Amino acid sequence: MPLDRDSLWYKDAVIYQVHVRTFHDSNGDGIGDFRGLQSKLDYLQQLGITAIWLMPFFPSPLRDDGYDIADYNSVHSSYGTLEDFENFLGAAHDRGIRVIIELVANHTSDQHPWFQESRSSTDNPRRDWYVWSDTDTLYKDTRIIFLDTETSNWAWDPVSKAFYWHRFFSHQPDLNFDNPAVQEQMWQVMKFWLQMGVDGFRLDAVPYLVEREGTNCENLPETHQVLKDLRRRLDEHFPGRMLLAEANQWPADLRPYFGNEDEFHMAFHFPLMPRMFMGLKLEDRKPITEILQQTPEIPPSCQWSLFLRNHDELTLEMVTDMERDYMYDSYAASKTMRLNLGIRRRLAPLLSNDRRRIELMNGMLMSLPGTPIIYYGDEIGMGDNINLGDRNGVRTPMQWNGETNAGFSTAPSERLYAPLIQDPVYGFPAVNVLRQKSAEHSLFNWMQRIIAVRKSSAIFGRGSIEFLYPANHRILAYVRKLGNDAILIVNNLSSTAQAVELDLKRYKGNILIEMFGKNMFPRVGDVPYLLTMGPYQFFWFRLRRV
Amino acid sequence: MREMIIGELSTAFHEMVRGFAHFLPSLIVMLIIALIGWLIAMVVKVILRSILRLIKFDKLSQNAGTSQLLAKAALPPATEVLSRFVFWVTWLGFFLLGVYLLGIFGLQNQIARFFVFLPRMFVAMFIMFFGLLAASFFARAALLAAVNANVPSPGLLSTAVRVVIIVFTTSMVFEELGLAEQTMVLAFGIAFGALMFGLAIAFGIGGRDLARHFLEKRFVHGKREDNNDELSPL
Amino acid sequence: MPEESFLTDDFLRQLMNVGEVDIVVGLPTHNNAKTVGPIIQTIQSGILRGFPRERAVIINADGGSRDGTTDLVRGGSIGDVGAKSNLNALRTLHSISTDYSDSSDDSNGAAFRTILAAADLLRAKACVVMSPESANIEPEWLSKLLRPILNDGYDLVTPTYRRHKFEGLLVTNLLYPMTRALYGVKIREVFSSEFGFSCGLGSKFLEQNVWDDGAYSAGAEVRFTLAAITGKYRMYQTFLGDKMHVERRGAELVPALRQTVGALFSSLGPDYPVWSAVSDSTSAPTNGADHQVLLDPLRVNRKRLREMFSTGIMELESVFQAILSPETIVELRQIAGMSEDKFRLPAELWVKTVYEFAASYQRSAINRDHIIQALAPIFRGRVYTFLMENLHASAEEVENNIEALCLEFERMRPYLLQLWKSI
Repeated sequence: MPLDRDSLWYKDAVIYQVHVRTFHDSNGDGIGDFRGLQSKLDYLQQLGITAIWLMPFFPSPLRDDGYDIADYNSVHSSYGTLEDFENFLGAAHDRGIRVIIELVANHTSDQHPWFQESRSSTDNPRRDWYVWSDTDTLYKDTRIIFLDTETSNWAWDPVSKAFYWHRFFSHQPDLNFDNPAVQEQMWQVMKFWLQMGVDGFRLDAVPYLVEREGTNCENLPETHQVLKDLRRRLDEHFPGRMLLAEANQWPADLRPYFGNEDEFHMAFHFPLMPRMFMGLKLEDRKPITEILQQTPEIPPSCQWSLFLRNHDELTLEMVTDMERDYMYDSYAASKTMRLNLGIRRRLAPLLSNDRRRIELMNGMLMSLPGTPIIYYGDEIGMGDNINLGDRNGVRTPMQWNGETNAGFSTAPSERLYAPLIQDPVYGFPAVNVLRQKSAEHSLFNWMQRIIAVRKSSAIFGRGSIEFLYPANHRILAYVRKLGNDAILIVNNLSSTAQAVELDLKRYKGNILIEMFGKNMFPRVGDVPYLLTMGPYQFFWFRLRRV
Repeated sequence: MREMIIGELSTAFHEMVRGFAHFLPSLIVMLIIALIGWLIAMVVKVILRSILRLIKFDKLSQNAGTSQLLAKAALPPATEVLSRFVFWVTWLGFFLLGVYLLGIFGLQNQIARFFVFLPRMFVAMFIMFFGLLAASFFARAALLAAVNANVPSPGLLSTAVRVVIIVFTTSMVFEELGLAEQTMVLAFGIAFGALMFGLAIAFGIGGRDLARHFLEKRFVHGKREDNNDELSPL
Repeated sequence: MPEESFLTDDFLRQLMNVGEVDIVVGLPTHNNAKTVGPIIQTIQSGILRGFPRERAVIINADGGSRDGTTDLVRGGSIGDVGAKSNLNALRTLHSISTDYSDSSDDSNGAAFRTILAAADLLRAKACVVMSPESANIEPEWLSKLLRPILNDGYDLVTPTYRRHKFEGLLVTNLLYPMTRALYGVKIREVFSSEFGFSCGLGSKFLEQNVWDDGAYSAGAEVRFTLAAITGKYRMYQTFLGDKMHVERRGAELVPALRQTVGALFSSLGPDYPVWSAVSDSTSAPTNGADHQVLLDPLRVNRKRLREMFSTGIMELESVFQAILSPETIVELRQIAGMSEDKFRLPAELWVKTVYEFAASYQRSAINRDHIIQALAPIFRGRVYTFLMENLHASAEEVENNIEALCLEFERMRPYLLQLWKSI
């Protein structure tokens, strides 16, 4: 199956997020690799996803899961070689699956040769590639992101006897994007991978590229200029490729990252995700509709990317204190589940392994405007291990079957990069791909079906959204529209059966066709359309005029 | 001559005997009817008395003020009076029915009129009783309202209400009885007019202050000092 | 009206949309457009501050306002439709309204009944009724009235207030002492315009009572408090602060008497088995002061009070004959004839009078409403006496005097029992 030629492919995509290390180990060293990943492409094709987002696989001391890069133009030896990557890329493209990789532009590892040179002396040509200062008092209006580990954004370098700037861990010095040489170098990195054939980049930590005194050093116009330059070169040389922004910001602050169709193609909608969980717990659509009302319009070629869970903690930066407390109490009663300003848990445990809630959340993920991203393992309802430090609890090996090492690796289990989930509920004997494929009503099969239904209509990826506001606040209902086609989506956020009256006057005369079973529902008339919904039930209706 | 006298006497005697023989059965029938009537009246009296006791008629009549009237006239309680009255009316009815059957000319007409009159009399009594009841109730309501609203001369107001209702009731009663209709309408008109006139004068002279107060309260909004001085009870 | 139809279809639909809640805030209104806006806001901030996570709803039972009160209430919903409120709310907060003026009974009791029925249908854990006329309502009141129910399992939370020593004299001179003496529980505000209660108590009261009788549902608040006492529900008092009303509607004595004393008197009949067995009075647990007294000078038309008493005694003699014992009438007449400096309606006579009224009310000596109305002039005499006795009294002395009156009510209980037995 060849890749489609549509340059807006990312709008229709269903993205699968995976770290090569976690998926499959082909050489028995306990660490997943590209050959292993390649061998599982059939599985991903079966699931129905159309793109893979690979987390960093570059050479790295791995003190931040690869986000501390020591060489941009190579593959970490544990995961294979550049050739292995190229083979994987080709195999994915053959199956119509695109590949998005990480570009960690904001910072490098302190082990990167650039930093080693930069710190070596103040007159080294690469001295200006990083942000150095004699004091730690500059940019003091800037917040600290990793509150649990860092106390300052400045770190003392004993080698060069100066402070260097870092927004994340102190072993991740920030590159100095005021320096044109750095910008040029970053383009060279991108070009290297684009020439190889990757379809897009997820740019990590984009708001923090440039620093200015007297600001909070986030979302600065200078940062946008750097990004616009990269986009211009991308469009010039590699049309049809995509840039995805990771910027954990409020929607209004995110809007500039789309620019005038001249910056990012896509950006994560961070504030929506915690509110979906909140709305579910509160049994109230208000948090969800409110944040989407506050979300500005974006240019036609741009797209939000939506997710329920990812490799990081469920971030609660973009909520109020009251909402955060509520989320902690609802979803992370135990303190060990909390990290920084977030909750380090997977989807299934967050939702108490309740199939109805997992389905509802996925239903919303697939039907709200944007491109959905599925975090590996969530399609089978994998669990987490909160006893592992940092965010490693949600980065355990993929569970393929109930045999040794869950079919992930042939290495002795103590040599696995991380222990497998063992508990009775989520452990690999209970939760694994093999078992779910053979069980008709498994979560995997259900996910396969919903992805197929989503892919059956371009409305989901490209249509507009219009909220219905039924007086019953437990019901989240909206109409997605594209041209003359329309889909009505009704979600019951409540754990109990609900009745709802929908004002569908505008669609009078249409019949509703439920998209999973293709059955007809009564025609829309003059009176409010009455639906009764079971606990956590949702409907997708195609509106059809006959 | 003697034979003529004897003849006449014997004819008269025969006539009398024949007349008496003719009359006797009617008399017996009449006496029987009277006796049965007495029995029925007794039964009616007993039943009525228990019904009236059941509906606490004495209290009702106390409310209406009739009990006080009866007490002043040294009469027994209202229940007793009413049931005795009904007894006598019922028995009298039966008695008159018997007399009617005697076929005495002239009496028959009077008796027939009595029977026509009887129901109207009951209705009239009914109106009178409830009229008195209403008069008493509304007079007391007016009295209480006037006292609590601090209206001068509440007694006068209350009496006026009572008089108006009683006069009105009385006129209705007389109309029902069909007695001196013309006179009553005239009398009612005069009484009502006099009352209104009296009230007007009383209001004008005696109630100058009241009138002023009323008008002020109605049309001058600023002056409410009386109410502001009142404490909130709750 | 049949039971099923006393809530309108529209209101039921609104309730359906609200769904199950934890807290119901009831707001009975009738032409309160001037004040209802700020009060709704205060209630909302009370909910958001005190109960940010609880599901709550504001239910307005309106008596047919024509000044847009209900629109103001409905406009107060916090939700996502045209959201512009900067209130930081986790949840949707519905603010719904219904008009009960079409029902057969349009008294305040019908409003209360509507609120009770709604709370019952929504399975609220706790319910609070707020007055649309309180001038100084504060957000904290909601917590104070609801927390004891939600956290500590109390069933009825009545308020206590700080108020002037001469305000609320019907409470201090009759309602409080009499309920305390007869029912044995020291509840300061038997009649209150703000109070909280549990769903259990609300539902029980809703189903136990005959509501179709309009006269019965007047004074539902007092009956509710008494029902809580007789049902042995757990009572709690909470100090709210100043009691102030926007309009001094409470200044009208006769309606106030009907609503409170009428309800109390009429409850004595059915509650006889309860109060006849009471021997002592106990305090309800109280958060904060069980009362506070303000002593500022207050202008009162005392002359008018005394005059209305005397006029009443003279003019209503025929009425009193049906209600009071001859001795009491004689004593009252003597007082009415006293000169200003000697004029006093002593506690003992006051208590005796009230008890005789209660007994006459029970046997319906005359029309019951007339009995209540006839009490007004005598109460004015009592008010005058209380004013004179406490003119220069300190807060403590005032309280001592009230306590003495309470004890008098308790001491005279046998007299009421004796009157009751002779009915």
